[in-house]
Amino acid sequence: MTTTIAGVRLPLIPPSTHPYADVIHRLEAGGSMLPDTPENLQQIIGIYKAYAVPMDFYWRDLLYIAERVFLNPLPAFKYFISQEYLDLPNSYAGDNAALRIWRGGEKAHPELLEFMAKGETRAMPKLLHHLWHDRVNMEFAEACMQAMFWHQGMGGRFNDYIASDAYRANADRAIKAYFKGNLVMLGLYKLFPEMFLEQVRQLSYTANLGLFWEVMAPVFFEMSDLYDEGQLTSVPQAMDFLVNGIFAVAGRPIYHHVFIGGECFEIIPKSEGFTWLYEAALPYVEAVFYRTSPFRGTKSYNAQAQQVPADQADFHYGILYADVFPVGSAGIPPTLLMQDMLHFLPPYLQELYKQHRRGEEDQLIQLGITFQRSMYNVTSAVIQALRCALLYPLDDTDPEHLLANRRFFEAQMDRFLRPEARLSDIQTQDYR
Amino acid sequence: MDSLILLMLVLLPLAAGVAIPLLPPPLARPAALAMAGAQLAMGLLIALGENDLSGFAIQQSWLPQLGLALDLGLDGVSLPLLLLASALTAMAVLATPVSQERPRFYFSLLLATNLGLVGAFLARNALLFLLAYELILIPTTLLVASFGGAKRAGAAVRFLTYGAASGLTLLATVLAFVWLQPHDGSGPWTLSFAYGDLAQHTLSPESQRWVMAMLLLAFGLKLPIVPLHGWQPATYSQAPTPVAMLLSGGVSKLGAYGLLRFGLEFLPDTWAVFSPWIAAAGAISAIYGALNAIAQLDMRRLVAYSSLGHMGMLVLALGAATPLSLQGVVAQMLAHGLIIALLFCVVGLIEAKTGTSAIDELSGLLNPQRGLPFTSGLLLLGLMAAAGVPGLAGFVAELLVFEGSWTAFPVPTLVCLVASGLTAVYAVRLFNRVGFGRLDNARADWKSTTWSERLPAMVLSAAVLIAGIWPQVLTGLSESTTAALAINTASSAIFASPLIS
Repeated sequence: MTTTIAGVRLPLIPPSTHPYADVIHRLEAGGSMLPDTPENLQQIIGIYKAYAVPMDFYWRDLLYIAERVFLNPLPAFKYFISQEYLDLPNSYAGDNAALRIWRGGEKAHPELLEFMAKGETRAMPKLLHHLWHDRVNMEFAEACMQAMFWHQGMGGRFNDYIASDAYRANADRAIKAYFKGNLVMLGLYKLFPEMFLEQVRQLSYTANLGLFWEVMAPVFFEMSDLYDEGQLTSVPQAMDFLVNGIFAVAGRPIYHHVFIGGECFEIIPKSEGFTWLYEAALPYVEAVFYRTSPFRGTKSYNAQAQQVPADQADFHYGILYADVFPVGSAGIPPTLLMQDMLHFLPPYLQELYKQHRRGEEDQLIQLGITFQRSMYNVTSAVIQALRCALLYPLDDTDPEHLLANRRFFEAQMDRFLRPEARLSDIQTQDYR
Repeated sequence: MDSLILLMLVLLPLAAGVAIPLLPPPLARPAALAMAGAQLAMGLLIALGENDLSGFAIQQSWLPQLGLALDLGLDGVSLPLLLLASALTAMAVLATPVSQERPRFYFSLLLATNLGLVGAFLARNALLFLLAYELILIPTTLLVASFGGAKRAGAAVRFLTYGAASGLTLLATVLAFVWLQPHDGSGPWTLSFAYGDLAQHTLSPESQRWVMAMLLLAFGLKLPIVPLHGWQPATYSQAPTPVAMLLSGGVSKLGAYGLLRFGLEFLPDTWAVFSPWIAAAGAISAIYGALNAIAQLDMRRLVAYSSLGHMGMLVLALGAATPLSLQGVVAQMLAHGLIIALLFCVVGLIEAKTGTSAIDELSGLLNPQRGLPFTSGLLLLGLMAAAGVPGLAGFVAELLVFEGSWTAFPVPTLVCLVASGLTAVYAVRLFNRVGFGRLDNARADWKSTTWSERLPAMVLSAAVLIAGIWPQVLTGLSESTTAALAINTASSAIFASPLIS
């Protein structure tokens, strides 16, 4: 993005006048929205690791719910994942992986298994762990799925497909097979078919998110390993790893299979050609990082109250805008995620948190803010990947191309102009 | 032995107050705490051990030419107030930070305040009471002026002015009480300010009315009641937290005690004449205090106006002077003393941590990670107690006040009931603002409160709870004394008063 005249490197385009000009220039230089500091790198890699372990549970259980629990009208045990799904080989880890990202094993992560056995308290039956809420909080994963399902229409063809006749026919076969011999449920299905179909659509998004996280968990594990080995030394490097990962897995299939009585019903077959990047990753980032919905009870949906935007696309309650302070108490998904990550913090992050604010007392808050930093880095990777796919290289010498890139970056930064955005906060280390 | 204990109750703060300036600064706080603890322990021993308090008496001539005597004693009203003063002094010492600047000066003044309070409650001589009453003004003014908030100078001047006016009025009242007594000239005119002699006064009805008016002015300034309250919000909001606890919880009770002792006990006939006006003043104070509390934007000022409102209820009960309402007076003095000290203690703690007591600047204090959840919990308890929630001390006191006053003055009682309802309004409003909502991360860079910082508020909370569950704590000691006072009033006043005829 510079030209050299008599040994002096001059920029090809004038500096940005955007309020986030510094961030835009950093993105144009191949950097991340998150400043490149050793502590930022330590924080984001540490939290990726802490996030990846519960995520290893999330994706397995999401697939278990979508494929096995399916339309169980009383799914009280949907979080009691079967051994089969705990052992389900991750497609991106282990020796037999179709596309190996992480060098570790393909089964559930050992730290996850250890936590599932003991929890925060002590070893006891699974039911007691569940009732005592001493477990992985799947409610967070389901809230993410619901955000994707509720917002819909964020690009891709997935949303159109689940309204299609082909989808209805596939779902109809699966519903009838699942409730075979159950006259009550079949009668209800006859009376209220849309209600059942809507449940299946939700389960399709459940599978979608499970397949998305099946990729992300080994990505984060690998980044953590690379950092521990000294191979990841800067925030841009971490971001580049994500960008490369995104392109590597972009074409992986997104589908929804249901297993009923030993038979596989393909509600969304792989042959439909839905891919990881466009049908899962981008909608996920849009729905969960940017939009989601207000924490329960904090905003009124009454139109006259004007507390939430009239247009869903203007929703801004994702992690990039979130107030990570628990407002209220348990039951708010980000709080539950923070609680999940707390169990798997690497020692160096625990040590870092002890040195700031209230030390061990407010680790949940500190790690929540670290998570926010790390998700700005992931979003940076997505923005760079989109720029890569849709626009021009950063080292392009055509000023018009660079201006097109500039406009793209500025348009992305416009989304962080609202006061709730935490982009300006994460520019300093004081925000903890 | 009983007399010795009585003497010790007074000598302890005197000796400690003198000794503390001679100690190394780090020892000032422990010494003050030891004194307050010892005094409280002795008070509790008396309360738990003796049914007959008449043995606790000292009569020693001091300046007979002036009628001043070291005349000390205890009864069912003064003993609970002595306990309250001792307990609040101990809590005030505990609530004082270890890093208190000029500790020797500070704690000496605090103990001088305690000396004045205890002296006034134990006094059985009006001149001695006056001395103790006046003594309090000096250290408390110095405490506010030396250790108070940013506007402490103005607050101290105002407090001094109103306090001096109260003291001078009381001096004039006490002198008038004796000087206006008719003397037949048959013998030498001896000056006696002993309570026993004052109770046998032979003042004319006209003189009694003048004396009563002056009494109401003097003690009304101290309580305070509307419109004599000009010093109170400024002083309470600018005083250091421990001093605010002592002023609102202990010193203000001197006003109610004085009215009970000098007005109701010594001038029951005239009290009956004035009682409708007293009750009306109480009702006005209660509603005025509650409405102002609702309008406040600062926690300290809100608590100050809350105190004004509760003092109004106390005055209503004094005006009614029925056996039940007088029990309510003592119960309200104790309950309010504990509750208001708790509220100031917690508000002071929040202010010390967050750097502000402005309601608009605080929110989300209940946040479990970065807020002050425990301290906010204690604030909630204090507010609930102030609002008269059942199970807490405030409920017992207010129930006695309202039930006791209803038969005598239904309209003022109804007004006070409305004021009590408004207490819940400002309590909920305050807690909703500061306790709930979003905690601002940019501001929330403070440390949590420590157990030692929480201790005084925890002790006061425990007392508020115990008194709510076991109301005997509030009324048991004073029941017979207040009953006797009420009988006096009923037999000689209202229906058969020559003043009314």
